[in-house]
Amino acid sequence: MVNFGELILRKFQNIAGSRYEEIVKAYQEFFLTEEEMKIPVISSVLLTIDRFSQEPPDELYEVLVSYKSATVRVVYIIDSALCTLIRETLGEDEAREFREKEEGLGREVLEKISRKLSELEMYFTTELIFEEKAPFVEEAVEEHDLLMISRHFGSESLKTHNISPLVFRIVQGIEKPVIVY
Amino acid sequence: MNAPEVIALSVFLGTYAFIMTEKLHRTVAAMIGASIVLITNVVSWEKVPEYLDLNTILLLAGMMVVVNIAKESGLFEYIAIKTAKFSKGNPMRVLLLFSVVTAVVSAFLDNVTTVLLLTPMLLYITKRMEVNPVPFLLSEVFASNIGGTATLIGDPPNIMIGSAAGLSFNEFIANMTPIAFLDLFVTVAIIYLAYRSTIKVSPEREEAIKSLIMEMNENDAIRDRKLFKKSLIVIGLVVVGFFLHDRLGLEPAIIALTGASILLLWSGASPEQALEKVEWATLFFFGALFIIVGSLVETGVIDAVALRMTGLVHTEGEAIFTIAWFSAVSSAVVDNIPLTATMIPLIKAMGTSFSPYPLWWALSLGACLGGNGTAIGASANVVVIGIAYREGIRITFGDFMKAGLVIMFSTVAVGSLLLWLRYVVL
Repeated sequence: MVNFGELILRKFQNIAGSRYEEIVKAYQEFFLTEEEMKIPVISSVLLTIDRFSQEPPDELYEVLVSYKSATVRVVYIIDSALCTLIRETLGEDEAREFREKEEGLGREVLEKISRKLSELEMYFTTELIFEEKAPFVEEAVEEHDLLMISRHFGSESLKTHNISPLVFRIVQGIEKPVIVY
Repeated sequence: MNAPEVIALSVFLGTYAFIMTEKLHRTVAAMIGASIVLITNVVSWEKVPEYLDLNTILLLAGMMVVVNIAKESGLFEYIAIKTAKFSKGNPMRVLLLFSVVTAVVSAFLDNVTTVLLLTPMLLYITKRMEVNPVPFLLSEVFASNIGGTATLIGDPPNIMIGSAAGLSFNEFIANMTPIAFLDLFVTVAIIYLAYRSTIKVSPEREEAIKSLIMEMNENDAIRDRKLFKKSLIVIGLVVVGFFLHDRLGLEPAIIALTGASILLLWSGASPEQALEKVEWATLFFFGALFIIVGSLVETGVIDAVALRMTGLVHTEGEAIFTIAWFSAVSSAVVDNIPLTATMIPLIKAMGTSFSPYPLWWALSLGACLGGNGTAIGASANVVVIGIAYREGIRITFGDFMKAGLVIMFSTVAVGSLLLWLRYVVL
């Protein structure tokens, strides 16, 4: 005896099989997936910046405001490997000068972001650190619920990529939600 | 019985047997049958144009082209999202609105395309509502078959009947649309009463679904805004053309083909792609079937059966009920296209004893609504159950038949009663 399920699927395949695949594909663009349906609880946000990162746009602050009770950890990262390379190749004085310039820039950026977050009455902390960028972010994000990162983070001066390879590596490697701006 | 009669009857019964048992694809079975009656000269080559109903075939082809181009614009997904938004996450509104929209769209476009495009949205909403999706899916299928009954272009049997009997679009609107409207109301009421306990949603969940649905933007569904507008305009013009075709003295097929040509020209769509998606297998099935049935007419078999039938049926009222119920019960198990193709010459032959006019409506009623009786009664049923299977929702043959037979008997009873009142009593 013919199995009814098999019969229906066979007849369905003849009448509409490939057409249905196309239609479902079109619908998937505006149907939320099961994963998207679950609204993640965000109590801490990691915002990582470096010298190549864009200034966080207003839209990003709007998102942050929606997590009013969350704590934002803003970290400006100076590439420690680059500092070591300069010291070893150009000497101690050049390395110090580079570090001072980087620190100055970092403080300026952090100050701007702090001002904005204060205006929005968000809880936040700021840090300026010397670290290797990717390993630091990958490790630090484990203690947070959301990562915000510029698409040019870890880029180079010319910003030849739309999204820097470092950001790609981070986004692909971590399991936490990420906002790339 | 002489040799041509034996050949014609054997080919006809053989083709039916292959279609029913699915030993062969229905198109292949019909083409082989048509080849036999042509080779044996039961139907001569000169007679082929007489039996090949080009009006039906070209009307179907024209509408297929229009739909194939229009659906690329995202028009139907747009309708689905709009319908979902109007429902506001309320299960009763979802049931009613999706049934009404399915019926209205099916009245103008083919049923399979309609349910294919609306079912994913219906499943998405019922999943979010965490309710039993089966009543919603069943209501959609029934509504699609009922909607198809309403107009000349809604369902292939109507196209065939309209073409063979020379009935206009407006005559279908005057005779079948009120029946379809009443039947839709009866259907939704039956489904609601039968399943009301399984489609309840708490007010909190309803609110959550509402906000989820309201966040969907129907404009996101539009993939090509220009094509969207052009498709709407052309479909609108085609529908207006159908309303006016008898006054203009144009066959419906000419309206459909003109619409298809205009949309092809205006949209700049690739004719190769648009024509590639025309269901050629269905069109060839029609063509071959017309020739097979033509062989029954040619050999006088149809006349003999008609004579027997008129001997059994004595009044017009009896004829209305007999044709409506015979077609309905047969359509529940046999493809309604060959059934209609066979019934058409039969009714023409019976026209010597009764006025055939009400009998055409009885045939349309039975052939279109009979499909609701079983899971394999109509293509739309198979498509929706097939989608449900793929999504892990099991609708068994028995599940479908329990609801389907109730709907079929109720809707055909309402329809045949209205026809009887209109054409016999009043």
